[in-house]
Amino acid sequence: MKQIFFCLATGGMWLCALTLQAQDIKISGTITDKRDGQPLVGVSVHVHGTPRGAISDYDGKYTLMVGADDKELRFTYTGYVTQTVEIGGRTEIDVVLSEDSDILEEVVVVGYGTQKKSDLTGAVSSVRGGDLTKIPSISPEQALQGKVAGVLVSSPSGAPGAVPVIRVRGVGTFNNASPIFVVDGVILDNISFLNSADIASMEVLKDASATAIYGSRGANGVIIITTKQGKIGDGKPAFSFSAEYAIQHLAKKIELLNGREFGAYVNDIVTGTYNNLDVLPNTDWQDLVFSDAPLGNYQFSFSGASERQQYYVGVGLFTQNGIIDKSGFDRLTIKLNNTYKLSEKIRIGNNITLAPLKFENSPNVTYAAYRAQPVIEPYNADGSFAEVPGVGNPLADIEYSNNGGKGIRTVGNAFAELTIVKGLLLRSSFGVDFNYAEIRSFTPVFYVSPQQVNEINDLSIGDFRNSNWLWENTLNYNFNAGEKHRFDLLAGYTMQQLRSRIVSVGAENVISEKEDLWYINPDNINPNTVFHGVDPNHNYSLLSYLFRANYTYHDKYLLTATFRRDGSSKFIGDNRWGNFPSFAVGWNLAQEGFMENQNLFNTLKLRASWGQIGNEKISYLDQYALILNGVNSVFGVSEELVPGSTFGKNGNPDIRWEATTQTDVGLEIGLFESKITAEFDYYNRKTDDILVELSTPGYTGNGQGVKVRYNAAAVENKGLEFTLVYNGRAGDLKYRIGALGSTVTNTVKSVGGSSGVDSTLVGGFLGNGQSVTLSKEGLPIGAFFGYQTGGIFQNQAQLDATPHLSIAEVGDLIYLDQNSDGVINSADRVYLGSPIPKFIFGFSTDLSFRQFDLAIDFQGQTGNKIYNGKEAVRPDLYNFESHVVDRWRGEGTSNTEPRATSGGYNWITSDRFIQNGSFLRLRSLTLGYNFPEKWLDRVKMTQARFYLRGTNLWTSTKFTGYTPEIGSGDVLSAGIDYGVYPITSIYSVGANITF
Amino acid sequence: MKRVHVFKFTLILSLLGLNACSDFLDESPQGNLTQEFFPSNENEATLATNACYNTLRNWYYHSGGYPILDIMSDDSYKGSNPTDQASNLNPFNDFTFTPSQDGLDRWWNALYEGVKRTNVVIEKVPDVTMDETKKAGLIAQARFLRALLYFDLVRAWGGVPLVLDTNPPLTLGKATEEEVYAVIVADLQYAIEHLPEQSALSPVEYGRATKGAANALMARVYLYRSDFVNAERYALEVIQSNEYQLDPSFSHTFSLEGQFNSESIFEIGALGNDGTNNGGNQYANTQGVRGTPNRGWGFNRPSLDLMDHFEVGDPRKEATIIFLGEVLDGVPIIGDGSTPDVTYADPPANTIVSEIECYNQKVWIPGISTAEQWGHNRRLIRYADVLLMAAEALNENDKPGDALMYLNEVRKRARGGNNSVLPDIATTDKAALRDIILDERRSELALESHRFYDLVRTGKAAQVLGPLGFQTDKHEHLPIPQTEIDISQGAITQNKGW
Repeated sequence: MKQIFFCLATGGMWLCALTLQAQDIKISGTITDKRDGQPLVGVSVHVHGTPRGAISDYDGKYTLMVGADDKELRFTYTGYVTQTVEIGGRTEIDVVLSEDSDILEEVVVVGYGTQKKSDLTGAVSSVRGGDLTKIPSISPEQALQGKVAGVLVSSPSGAPGAVPVIRVRGVGTFNNASPIFVVDGVILDNISFLNSADIASMEVLKDASATAIYGSRGANGVIIITTKQGKIGDGKPAFSFSAEYAIQHLAKKIELLNGREFGAYVNDIVTGTYNNLDVLPNTDWQDLVFSDAPLGNYQFSFSGASERQQYYVGVGLFTQNGIIDKSGFDRLTIKLNNTYKLSEKIRIGNNITLAPLKFENSPNVTYAAYRAQPVIEPYNADGSFAEVPGVGNPLADIEYSNNGGKGIRTVGNAFAELTIVKGLLLRSSFGVDFNYAEIRSFTPVFYVSPQQVNEINDLSIGDFRNSNWLWENTLNYNFNAGEKHRFDLLAGYTMQQLRSRIVSVGAENVISEKEDLWYINPDNINPNTVFHGVDPNHNYSLLSYLFRANYTYHDKYLLTATFRRDGSSKFIGDNRWGNFPSFAVGWNLAQEGFMENQNLFNTLKLRASWGQIGNEKISYLDQYALILNGVNSVFGVSEELVPGSTFGKNGNPDIRWEATTQTDVGLEIGLFESKITAEFDYYNRKTDDILVELSTPGYTGNGQGVKVRYNAAAVENKGLEFTLVYNGRAGDLKYRIGALGSTVTNTVKSVGGSSGVDSTLVGGFLGNGQSVTLSKEGLPIGAFFGYQTGGIFQNQAQLDATPHLSIAEVGDLIYLDQNSDGVINSADRVYLGSPIPKFIFGFSTDLSFRQFDLAIDFQGQTGNKIYNGKEAVRPDLYNFESHVVDRWRGEGTSNTEPRATSGGYNWITSDRFIQNGSFLRLRSLTLGYNFPEKWLDRVKMTQARFYLRGTNLWTSTKFTGYTPEIGSGDVLSAGIDYGVYPITSIYSVGANITF
Repeated sequence: MKRVHVFKFTLILSLLGLNACSDFLDESPQGNLTQEFFPSNENEATLATNACYNTLRNWYYHSGGYPILDIMSDDSYKGSNPTDQASNLNPFNDFTFTPSQDGLDRWWNALYEGVKRTNVVIEKVPDVTMDETKKAGLIAQARFLRALLYFDLVRAWGGVPLVLDTNPPLTLGKATEEEVYAVIVADLQYAIEHLPEQSALSPVEYGRATKGAANALMARVYLYRSDFVNAERYALEVIQSNEYQLDPSFSHTFSLEGQFNSESIFEIGALGNDGTNNGGNQYANTQGVRGTPNRGWGFNRPSLDLMDHFEVGDPRKEATIIFLGEVLDGVPIIGDGSTPDVTYADPPANTIVSEIECYNQKVWIPGISTAEQWGHNRRLIRYADVLLMAAEALNENDKPGDALMYLNEVRKRARGGNNSVLPDIATTDKAALRDIILDERRSELALESHRFYDLVRTGKAAQVLGPLGFQTDKHEHLPIPQTEIDISQGAITQNKGW
């Protein structure tokens, strides 16, 4: 890497040479790398406040003429922390630069400011550099997977444009448990508009000390994203271009019965259904539905800086087709970051992203491909789609689906900073997030079978507009009191308002199936589909006051106190305002006198924090009991539709903030000049008053499946986190090995008090009347709950002698009589496992050897279970997973696989469908080649790198589904495989070019 | 100069901030009316009353979506193709269903959703300033519907939680069967006093509850309570009101043209659009002919036992069942490709026929699309039923002569002028006549969800349905949905035998 930057810098040297001016003192010195003491080549040395400068040579030496009035030298080197050194009359100045990623001197972005890592009292992890762009995905948050201890990233779907589910330190609420994102100061719920290549760093704030400054929204963690800026260097713009092209391939097929096996199975259910197994068709629906698909990711950026201005312009194009036909996602991103220094005291700037996008969603045919009987040919003799019993023909589903949309998202802010006196900074930032999307779906007239038919064509169009503005004003005072006392004080107030508008309309009988005519007009409009309203999760206001004090004594003792007071329009009366305090202490032991005479530890820091944070991600309507309109009735001989209105579900005016109390104790270690760094944290995070939608008793009349939100639950997450990094080199081989892991013990502490609704939470509905999770005191959130099996009834005598459900027959599963009351009923259902992994881990190796670099990232989890929901739901005769081949066919033939049945007794909620969710995955493997400098010089390039990359290349798991990485936004249905769009293995080639 | 900048900057920030604070956080719901302000006038009181009727077209209202009451009787099988909904519906045919059986919760929840809607009217409309007679009329409609809904609940589950206001406590347990019936009777009493007769209803109001409907439902309630004196009294109220008469044609009674005919006492108006709020009712679509023409899903397949039950030449057999090959309203009935025309009980020998592909004709609507099928008006109370209820009560009250009069009125209409079939019944032997009336009810009311309860309330269920799996002291009632018990944490107890 150093060579690359050297080239960049040497290019600029010529410019500098032209501007040599009055200089009378010669200064020289050597610049070395803090990590290994090696000379640094190509470091830019500037006389601060002038254009004069020099570049260090191959031995790390520089020479520079300065004027008598010049006071400071600035040493800049890409990827390293810039240093400013007072000249103070010296003529020889040696400098040691540290890498940005060097944990010791790392500057970490925290809420409303930055801090040196060594001053930090909170648990904050950073991801930056190459790790940000390792996964070809629209979602920058994928970069956190296996890279930050305590962060679980899982993908609910492999569909193009799908956004991963993120959990920081377990699951702290039954509600939306996702962290918030802060992109250049703008607080957002999702960042799918952001191009990974435009990101400089991602910081994950985990403990209360770090998150409490975000008050009511910090309880599930905060991810701060800082986008790239032009680097203050030599003034020459840097151009960079990168391209990656990839093929996505279905990573794994589910083993299902083939035609013959299926026929044999069905014959076991109803003898003689198929007379000749040899002539049965054998259709592999997975092969028909999934096909390899391309992905492309291209970007171009130029950036630079001068004394008065920094700029970064990035343009990116991401284009992905899905492995299911008619699914895709294309996104263009335009990033404009500018900072202008108007005077010594005033700085203004902006960070803007524009992201137009276009997407197409395929119907969820994964389920249909899984269920479709293999004995059905996909097409009839005449070429038309064949009827597939029960599920419909998935190929026809795809053919007749036209569902997609487009939109544009604009996120940005403009800020002004005023330095009132030295150290006292007033900052005002106005951020906006405008999101516009149009969704369009058209279903033509078609007939496949009586169940798969559309008699009148349908069109639906939805227009969604969200806007969000955030105005933040902070006053920051940074000062020293004497030699030993450092203070960093912050006060601020912020206002935020979110607004949304939705217009959606449906039409029938559109005059033609041509896309040009997919518009709504008075002749085809279906009045009952007209909706104009707001998104209840995106229409509210927040007002906040925030304070923070950091105090450092002698660099040894650290103290942080924060306080935020938030008011939200989602709550009324006394519940409107919430207070969120935190306190933290740190102790840099390595700075103590008694540590002076050792050179093992260069960092040894203990820290502890406590604080309270909130969560308020609920609909603003939950407090209200609303009237339901359009509850129409039909009266009269001539049958007129007469309007009706009535009470909707009950509201809850008493709802208030969820309150999370988190305690954290951490230890940071740096050994052998940070060759080895380690960080350990213990955390305990307890959330009370969790806002949760509870099924009310049916007799309350809220209707089937309708729930009401209460502050009714408490959950505790606790665990340990560790991060270990070893940096080393052996000759030309440089390597960095990292490992991290975290444990989570998630326990529901209560689901409310005495009322009838709230001591269990039934969830994980499969859609067939079965619910597979039950959250109650003492169990994890969304715990799987059902019958435990204990073999197969081998004969009538055993059946007669064993308690059983009345419908059980010989050859069926034995459900255990857990309470030994001689009866099998719902009281015998037991805890069958947790969807939350007990241990998540990642390890990675980055190697570079001469022109080659190699990065290998593994990631995995253990201790969680997956409920194979797609297998359990059987209203019809569907195909079966291959394991049923070994079914019971008579006494002694099997004690695990029951007799052949197409549904019913053996398919009710039990551990039969519980699978081990542990896995180890080779997340990413990249092999790169950097063209040697001497070649690049000829074409005026500073870097040219080509690489091969594999994503999700290999997974070790016992789970039979497409991927064990099951994610769900609904914490009560996490870990249930409903048959989602499978994730893929991705094979890429790419290039990065800088000039 | 710089100081001025600082001053300006700070001033602007603080002014903007302070200004905005005061009402920044007060936001009202957009596009939504809250419950505290509804209903506030006559129009809204009417809207609230109209909404009660909407429940009757909710798919879940019809025993959770599928016609399980018919499937549980000897009148029908599940229908559709052999695998469709097999695990959800076959358990109702062979009485292997469990408390977590698909659909039980849907039915339970839909009935109580309806109860809540009626409670909105019953609780809130008294405070609305409006014409007192109109007000009583609206409340009476709601109380009729509440009685109808509770009658469904108490028949299906026995004692159930009794909710009589819009905001019940969350710790409610079950009331006794007697307590539920007491509410039903009181509601119907109020309805009888305040509802208009059918003839007083303007034709645009057809479908609303009437005094006749309330009397008829009261008769039915008392019949289920074996209170034959009151059953007789209220059935005769309907008969003697001269508001209703049998439709001359049995098949016309159920037809599209026969909507709101002279024997229809309470009927659910519906439009041929899919979607409940579009005016449609999926009840008939669920049972509609499957395949060609595609009228629906084909559930509720009439059993061979039902076909054999009809007396020789009874025209009601053809009018009740759609057989393959039939041409109805010009539409040839071809049926479904995925469904065997004939199902055998003894494959592969295939000598004993167990089922044949056929459909429920009482829900037929002329046409070839599914949407039209949503327009079927389900007849909930027919005059023929009232006559048979009267006959049954009169026989039990030792008035066989009157009983025969009403019974034979039904048979006369059924024979449609063909005097060679369905001869008048003449026996006055109480036990024999009781059986004959029950048989007549089966022929007349087949596939209208009466048969199962008729067998249960007459004590014949074990004898008739025992071979199918019916167990005495268990299957008289459905199990309370498991989810309801789970949510109540045991405050609601499971029914006997489950």
